[in-house]
Amino acid sequence: MRHIPEDELHAYLDQGLSRTQCVEIESHLADCPSCQALRDGIAALRDRTTALLARLAPPPSVPPAFEVLRKRAAEAASLRRRRLHLLAWAASVVLAVGLGWGASSLVRSGPRGQLAARAVFTPATPVHAAASRPSPDSSESPRGTTVAAAPAPAAAAPPPRAARVRTIASSPTDSSRAARRAAALSVLNPSPAVELTQLDSPAARGDIELDGMWRTMSWDGAKAAAGERLPHIDGLPVMRVQVQSNEQGARPVMVVAQRLASGQVIRTIEGPATDVTQLLSRGPMSDVDSLFLPGGAKRAADPAGHAMAMQVGDRMLAITGDLPSDSLRAMIRRLNAEMRSK
Amino acid sequence: MTDDLEHLYQSTYTAVVRFLYRKVWDAERAEDLAQEVFVRALSHRPEKPRAWVFAVAANLARDEARAAMRRKRHLTLLKGDPIAQPTLTPAADDTVEHDEQMAQVQEALSTLTVRDREILLLWDAGLSYPEIAARTGLAVGAVGTTLARARRRLVDAHDRQQTRTGTDAAHS
Repeated sequence: MRHIPEDELHAYLDQGLSRTQCVEIESHLADCPSCQALRDGIAALRDRTTALLARLAPPPSVPPAFEVLRKRAAEAASLRRRRLHLLAWAASVVLAVGLGWGASSLVRSGPRGQLAARAVFTPATPVHAAASRPSPDSSESPRGTTVAAAPAPAAAAPPPRAARVRTIASSPTDSSRAARRAAALSVLNPSPAVELTQLDSPAARGDIELDGMWRTMSWDGAKAAAGERLPHIDGLPVMRVQVQSNEQGARPVMVVAQRLASGQVIRTIEGPATDVTQLLSRGPMSDVDSLFLPGGAKRAADPAGHAMAMQVGDRMLAITGDLPSDSLRAMIRRLNAEMRSK
Repeated sequence: MTDDLEHLYQSTYTAVVRFLYRKVWDAERAEDLAQEVFVRALSHRPEKPRAWVFAVAANLARDEARAAMRRKRHLTLLKGDPIAQPTLTPAADDTVEHDEQMAQVQEALSTLTVRDREILLLWDAGLSYPEIAARTGLAVGAVGTTLARARRRLVDAHDRQQTRTGTDAAHS
């Protein structure tokens, strides 16, 4: 007669065996004193192990109510959503930059025939692509015709550069898809009843020259002072936060400089409308009246170095940067919607 | 669904804390991690929540141990710093005795192989043979064998210690 192996007895006592196995073991145990003794020894060993391990217990504690955990889970979920949202932000900035570039180079190509020279230096422009693969709209609009005709000098330009430009040029389908996406974005964030102003600001080009009334703050400090009103674009590294000291205790003007992946610096500015206007108007040969031109009027003159401002009540939100106005407009709409939703 | 998890929480929270405590040796941390496990279960909604909870607990404890190792490595560079020791504050005699007993079991447990220890702790946390098998990749039949070995080793190691301390006491 086969005796029961030790490990089977462990499994038997641990209720780790099937019903049939149990019946087998029990019927054997009934007639086998030596297996009974073994079983008792194993039962004792089990109990000792359990007793020993019981010493390895933390001091008893009161578990938190399950509701507390449920709340934490909900918070974690919203944090995850927020992270996703942040990613979407970053993606939309990238998209806006790319789109703006494409759009503005189309505009720039305009009547003065500067296209050839510019196109060579602009990293991503659909213009060449438009020439090599005629897009539907190039035959429709007079501007499009210029675009299609213009690249000839560019093709004649020194080959290495022209070739490089062509390889990275986005196709018309890409840019129109991007345009649709951008349109969808602006539908998602319907711009509120505020003034949207585009201006050519000298401040956009270099470092804004701020006099003694300004102090540079740490990001955390500024965040603590301004809370959710701190203007910034989620997901971009912050280079500098500057805050205007103001005596009246009102919310000061804040300037947050951030760096895009391309290395360009954009600044988001938030403050009382008059102060922001003044700030943006700084620089040589500028007076406030000439700043607020209807969108597009000055665009062709200097496509880089824009500022886009949006007035909400007596506050003004602005973005400056060496970016095409379309990009800035997309960004400020988004930013405004963000800050209002907080 | 939620009620199931809540029920599981009520019935296994203490076991999860104990399971984690035997890995991180810090009561507060074990509780934090146990709560984290259930928070994750709430958003994850696992199919087999009991086994899942212990699997995640084991993973968290492992991550914790790795982080502790990194910290330790870092701290050895800053010699002289008071490295946080498991709270051994001056205490009443019974606490001291309890701590000693605990240290002995802890040491005995450390003589087991990683796998044997893991399976013993899972069993002690209340997992069934099939659950342990699923968690460790062992065949169900092998769980009994492993537990038989692990129990024997733990008790033997503890007994050896007792005789050693016994002779120590006799010498002094």
